[in-house]
Amino acid sequence: MPRPLWNGSLSFGLVNVPVQLTGATRDLDLHFRQLHKKDGAPIEQRRYCSQDEVEVQWEEVGRGFELDNGKQVVLTDEELASVQPEKTRTIDVQAFVDVDDVDPIYFDNTWFLVPAGDSQGTRRAYRLLVEVMESTERAALGRFVMRTKEYLVLVRPRDGLLSLTTMRFHDEVRPTDGIAPGGRKPAKDKIEQAVAVIESLGADWDPERYTDCYRERLKRVVKQKQKGEKVKAPSEPKQPEPAPDLMEALQATLERMGSSKGNGKSASKGGRKKAAAKS
Amino acid sequence: MPKSIWNGTISFGLAHVPIKLYSATESKTVSFREVHLSDGAPIEHRRICSKEGKEIPYKEVVKGFEVAEDEYVVLEKDEVKAAAGARGKVIEIEEFVPGDEIDPIFVEKTYFVGCRDDGDAYKVFREALEQTGRVGIGRFTFHDREYLAAVRPLDGVLALHTLRFHDEIIDPGDLDVTIPRKGPSQREVKMAEQLVESLHEKFDATDHEDTYREAVLDLIDRKAKGKKIERPEFEEREETDDLVAALQASLKGGKS
Repeated sequence: MPRPLWNGSLSFGLVNVPVQLTGATRDLDLHFRQLHKKDGAPIEQRRYCSQDEVEVQWEEVGRGFELDNGKQVVLTDEELASVQPEKTRTIDVQAFVDVDDVDPIYFDNTWFLVPAGDSQGTRRAYRLLVEVMESTERAALGRFVMRTKEYLVLVRPRDGLLSLTTMRFHDEVRPTDGIAPGGRKPAKDKIEQAVAVIESLGADWDPERYTDCYRERLKRVVKQKQKGEKVKAPSEPKQPEPAPDLMEALQATLERMGSSKGNGKSASKGGRKKAAAKS
Repeated sequence: MPKSIWNGTISFGLAHVPIKLYSATESKTVSFREVHLSDGAPIEHRRICSKEGKEIPYKEVVKGFEVAEDEYVVLEKDEVKAAAGARGKVIEIEEFVPGDEIDPIFVEKTYFVGCRDDGDAYKVFREALEQTGRVGIGRFTFHDREYLAAVRPLDGVLALHTLRFHDEIIDPGDLDVTIPRKGPSQREVKMAEQLVESLHEKFDATDHEDTYREAVLDLIDRKAKGKKIERPEFEEREETDDLVAALQASLKGGKS
């Protein structure tokens, strides 16, 4: 197992379970290094003082914050660390909430919380927590500090383990004012047609069906270049014009779907059953 | 009215919905700029060629992919664009899946979707999604890379989540974790369930403020007034060995 990112304990009531944090997602993007075109040498980012034009080492860097009156306050990392609350090493469960009540818009990053230490007692407490959260379909809400920032977190079971998701605060989600078009509700028959199109394109969620084509193409471009081949950038395709008549477009879609019945992957996937609408 | 960051079209079947994308989230973490401690002057990051030791303008920068140690395949910016795909400004919905089947672990970033015209098609699409409980899954190209996306109704508008790919989600089976085979006793389960129940509340995002952000702003204020900043010391907590005793004590209203 990779080195844990964080060691601490999860505590609810008087039960303390030592846990470690380890990644639940991995970044598979291709990463590039900046090179100097002329000589192919890697480019380094170096810090310079804008006033005396000298290179500055990391130890000489402070955190500047501009006040409303234009003055600047400078903090050292040491001073910044002083506001880390006591929760630094503990995830205190404040409440248990229904998982369905938490919209994914609040989700930031997810990790696994795995039991730490050798004690049988703590491992049993861990398993108890997983089982009880599974049976009650509840997730634990708490706070914890990683590096220098305190997060609101949601702890929930995932395949027999506990996962921890950092969450955005409510004021970090923007208001939706002025985004949706106003005016009358659309005509019922239009909605019905659209519902029919949606149902005919219905499928079950199967994440393995989607591969990262961009990653694959980028790997191919790298290979082509490695062999000395030329790579051409595509020209920008035209934007489709919105259908002048939505009803016609929806109807035409349904007709086309009807004639290709059995060929389409989504139609054959058994996704025609009506989904249980979320309350 | 916020500024849109992308103009395009959502297409499903032969129908097209002209749309705009807006950021749905913004970080409110207190951000600092790097300054030189000795004189408080801002720090600049400069690109220096490691061979010549000289500063390099951005137009002389190319992307290098490391294929072996210190051996790079060089890509021009246009060549990276070749991988973005020729999708244009269209979010093509491939299928509609039940919204509650997508685990939020897949969600990466969220955008709000607005419309570019009178909004007729937008309203029809939103309403129909709401009725079916389904979300549209499609792909689109944004900032020269292709994303998998889910489009769903949210709070009276449409929201678009960019999604992680399945191989970017780690399988718990790949982790070397030993969980005791023997399950907890009925008594333990019952007590834990009682404890969960007693701490149950309805989730309301506005109940939870970013107290750390407030603490950092307070620190800045104290420093501005010339106060001395000291680091407090913390105590370690004891781990639970006697599970039943800890559960019992918790139910009696004890707090750690």
